[in-house]
Amino acid sequence: MNFTVINRDLQVGDVHIIAVTSSAVFLIGDADMINVASAFDTPPEALIIGPLVPLTPRG
Amino acid sequence: MVQLVHNELTSFSAVLQIGDSKEITSRAKVLAVQRQQELFFGNEGEGNFPLFTNPIPRLAMDTTSWQMNKLNESPAISVRTIRVLAISFSSVVHIGSTSTIDTEARVKHTRQLAANSGAKPALIAPQSSIRIIKDESSCLQ
Repeated sequence: MNFTVINRDLQVGDVHIIAVTSSAVFLIGDADMINVASAFDTPPEALIIGPLVPLTPRG
Repeated sequence: MVQLVHNELTSFSAVLQIGDSKEITSRAKVLAVQRQQELFFGNEGEGNFPLFTNPIPRLAMDTTSWQMNKLNESPAISVRTIRVLAISFSSVVHIGSTSTIDTEARVKHTRQLAANSGAKPALIAPQSSIRIIKDESSCLQ
């Protein structure tokens, strides 16, 4: 597959973003390849009510 | 040409790039623990949590099957204002061209509350049934 990109005049005015986070990409320009991944884990058992014990990994 | 970039916070493997780049690889592994009391055990995070080791499926791209031709007729990128409050956790803010961006963020978030903290039970104990009581006396006011 042949893919041709012609970059003519690129003008950006005002951009206002609160946050770019967790593997997000904000790009003005061009790229060949973008590969992003994000894993966020806060399961029900992540809310622990009880004695404040150290965290230990569990399956 | 960039006139103004306003950024308060760039943290946790985040990248703010003005200009061209070739390859950006960024990784963040975060163990976020919120405790009701100020307490930190120094060896926490040394354990191997599955979230941090499990492979994340990635799209394998065959870069030989396609060809991209770029013609920069106008080489300049003109930006007036960029305001980004925070860039965080393996994210990228990039003004300019790049070839490859590869990022990965893994966040494990845990909250610990003390059992007898005097907090309202409804906030911390899951209830088996939900009861909605209409307070008619207050509605009439």
